[in-house]
Amino acid sequence: METTTPLIELQNVAKRFGGIQALSGIDFDVRKGEVHALVGENGAGKSTMMKILAGVIPEYEGKMLWRGKNVRLKNPRHALGLGIAMIHQELSVMPELTVAENIFLGRQPLRGGVVDWPRMFREAAKILAELGFDHINVRDNLERYPLGVHQLAEIARALTSGAELIIMDEPTSALSPMETRRLLELTRNLARAGKAIVYISHFLEEVTWVADRVTVLRDGGKVATLDAAASNKQELVRLMLGKEAAFFEESKLPGAASKNRETAVLSVENLTRPRVFEDVSFSLRSGEILGLYGLIGSGHFELGEAIYGLVRPASGRILLEGRPLPAAPRRAIDRGVAYVPPSRRTGLFLEKPIYQNVSLPWLARISGFVPRTPREIQAARAVIERVGVRPPDPEKEVAFLSGGNQQKVAIARWLVEPPKVFVVSEPTRGMDVGAKEEVMKILRELSQNGVGVLLISSEPETLLAASERILVMAKGRIVREFAGETVTKEQLLHAAAGELAEAR
Amino acid sequence: MANEPHDSPKTPGRWRAFLARSREFAPVWTLLALVLFFSVYSDSFLSLENAGNILNQVALLAIMGTGITFVLLTAQIDLSVSYMATFAGVVAAYYTAAHLPQPWPIVAALLAAGALGWINGVGTARLGIPSFMVTLAMSLIASGLSLYLTRGRILFDLPPLSETLGSGRIFGVKWLVIVAALTLLIGHLVLKYTRFGRYVYMTGANPKAAELAGVNTRGVITAVMVIGALTAGLAGVVGIGRLGSATPTAFDGMLIDAIGAVVLGGTSLFGGVGGIPQTIVGLLILGVLRNGLDQVSVDIYMKTLITGIILLAALVFNILFAGRKEN
Repeated sequence: METTTPLIELQNVAKRFGGIQALSGIDFDVRKGEVHALVGENGAGKSTMMKILAGVIPEYEGKMLWRGKNVRLKNPRHALGLGIAMIHQELSVMPELTVAENIFLGRQPLRGGVVDWPRMFREAAKILAELGFDHINVRDNLERYPLGVHQLAEIARALTSGAELIIMDEPTSALSPMETRRLLELTRNLARAGKAIVYISHFLEEVTWVADRVTVLRDGGKVATLDAAASNKQELVRLMLGKEAAFFEESKLPGAASKNRETAVLSVENLTRPRVFEDVSFSLRSGEILGLYGLIGSGHFELGEAIYGLVRPASGRILLEGRPLPAAPRRAIDRGVAYVPPSRRTGLFLEKPIYQNVSLPWLARISGFVPRTPREIQAARAVIERVGVRPPDPEKEVAFLSGGNQQKVAIARWLVEPPKVFVVSEPTRGMDVGAKEEVMKILRELSQNGVGVLLISSEPETLLAASERILVMAKGRIVREFAGETVTKEQLLHAAAGELAEAR
Repeated sequence: MANEPHDSPKTPGRWRAFLARSREFAPVWTLLALVLFFSVYSDSFLSLENAGNILNQVALLAIMGTGITFVLLTAQIDLSVSYMATFAGVVAAYYTAAHLPQPWPIVAALLAAGALGWINGVGTARLGIPSFMVTLAMSLIASGLSLYLTRGRILFDLPPLSETLGSGRIFGVKWLVIVAALTLLIGHLVLKYTRFGRYVYMTGANPKAAELAGVNTRGVITAVMVIGALTAGLAGVVGIGRLGSATPTAFDGMLIDAIGAVVLGGTSLFGGVGGIPQTIVGLLILGVLRNGLDQVSVDIYMKTLITGIILLAALVFNILFAGRKEN
């Protein structure tokens, strides 16, 4: 690591939003050839800081130095011009264009006013080869490649635009373990080649592996900057939370195997939707938390959608309390099935107040033909207080809440009338450790009250934290059941990825 | 719309909040500015009689605009409303001429419009054709049916009820204005005070999320397309009474004004935001503008251009407001 002037430096930076102090007294620097990770709970100030670095937020207190000189970024374009590029959490690629076009988006090499395709393909292939991905055909449409390559295209775009500082915001949240490893290696290589990288992630394991230094934020302030090599996960968590927290690397599953079991509340029999999931059978007991693990694309999320009736399976049956469940969300709700989708954005009305988000499935019951706002608010307040939404104000728009609290609203909605079966997909994605634990506590309480919980996730920690049994899906099939034994994260990964290798 | 108020609040945060809110109220400022402008530059503009004129001028648009408000709130669009209005007027006159006993010609007209709206709805919600395309095709179908029924002629036999509602008065107030006011009122009550109204807003705000919460979004979209067609049909039925005849192109030209008025009021083209009060403001903006331009000495050949520019400016505001929401 060089010890020259940092490439970029923040000095005593602070930012207020209205009455909220989002950041204060932040000193932060990134050197050339360094990966500097940024960790903290949701709401700790990571995204605010990142937006200041990328020129998205031009108004703040304090100083920013670029190559030792005072700068004030006016907008993201200005930042890009200096050599600061941001890789967004939600990718800004165009899957229906070629890989090369995505890399040169908006800056295609021209000859005589028209795109110089041969040159663009040549240069795109060159940069990908430099990054160690020479097996990718830059003439193919990006959509033919998995998400990891989409991310790669964004990074290549940043590099070809001359970026010196690359800000990565949760770059691995949608990637498979193999893609994640590749991205981490790529990140290291970029640093070795002299780029400076700000790496933001919830996955502390990745952070300790990839970063040279780690800065921990808490409540808008800097807690510490550590040498990554000298830090460990437990220490980072303690710094992030200001307290010790339980960690789930493995778990002794208390549940018994699915055979010889009393009547199930939900049973799925030979459910098939070609190319998505095939011949899936399992049963869920009342009061049980059943984990369903799979890598992205193994069909586990789609299975959740099918149970809730969002898609119609081609064959097979879904039985709720022994009776067939028709494929319609309204019918599912009326029979006592609740569902939380893997993405908050699809499940919530961000611009609408919390109470309208909570009451929508229950309008007929809460207030009859004419919606009665006071009753809706009352019902919403009861459930959001129960799950600990902060602030517990039912009239606030959901967009005002942090991601973790939005997720709690998505769950709270289904507590208005306790469900019999609760299908939750990825309830803790992108959440910090503290909020994760709160969500898990809610699910455990529900199961203790007799609700059958089907917990669907691609994050092993999430499943290990709460499941009594775990089913593993790969390529649309259930390949393994863990019950009544101690299971580790590695075993889960192996079951999902190992079978995947065989299926190919 | 250069009437953003220029006072200086103490903190930037407050200033921003104020700005955000004033964008929501931008249509109201526009309306006030137009009223002020025409009151200063015309002697005849500011009078009770002229206010009555304006209401009378926008009444048909108001009836049609009520349905369009429903359609836009679900993030759909209906480009066939004006043609369905013409068609409904033609049906009412056609069956009156054919001596179908009253009020059956009017019932037939509304049913016919409703049926076309149902096809719009099914095409959009069940078959997944963009409402833009379905209703564009429907505008040709409605127009074609009008031409076919009339054979291109003008029909003068009108239902008596159409004549009364279209040009009669009660206690000195035009029936037309009363019908418009009632339509708006019912539309408002349905949107604000029924479960269906809430479903309309939620479907427009996030269709996927509404479906996840058990809302029958396809049913909601089909219903708003039918509502749009029914209010268009009503506009046609009373409109022929106002014109004194039914022609095969009577109301075709109202399309842009009707959608324009709703959007001018601030109902979002992207769904979920807006409502009847906004539509009323939009109608008044359009009415005041049209009426006022007649009263000041503006080049008559400039009127359409000016109206178009104001409409464009209002649309830009609408987009800016939508952009604020995303941040």
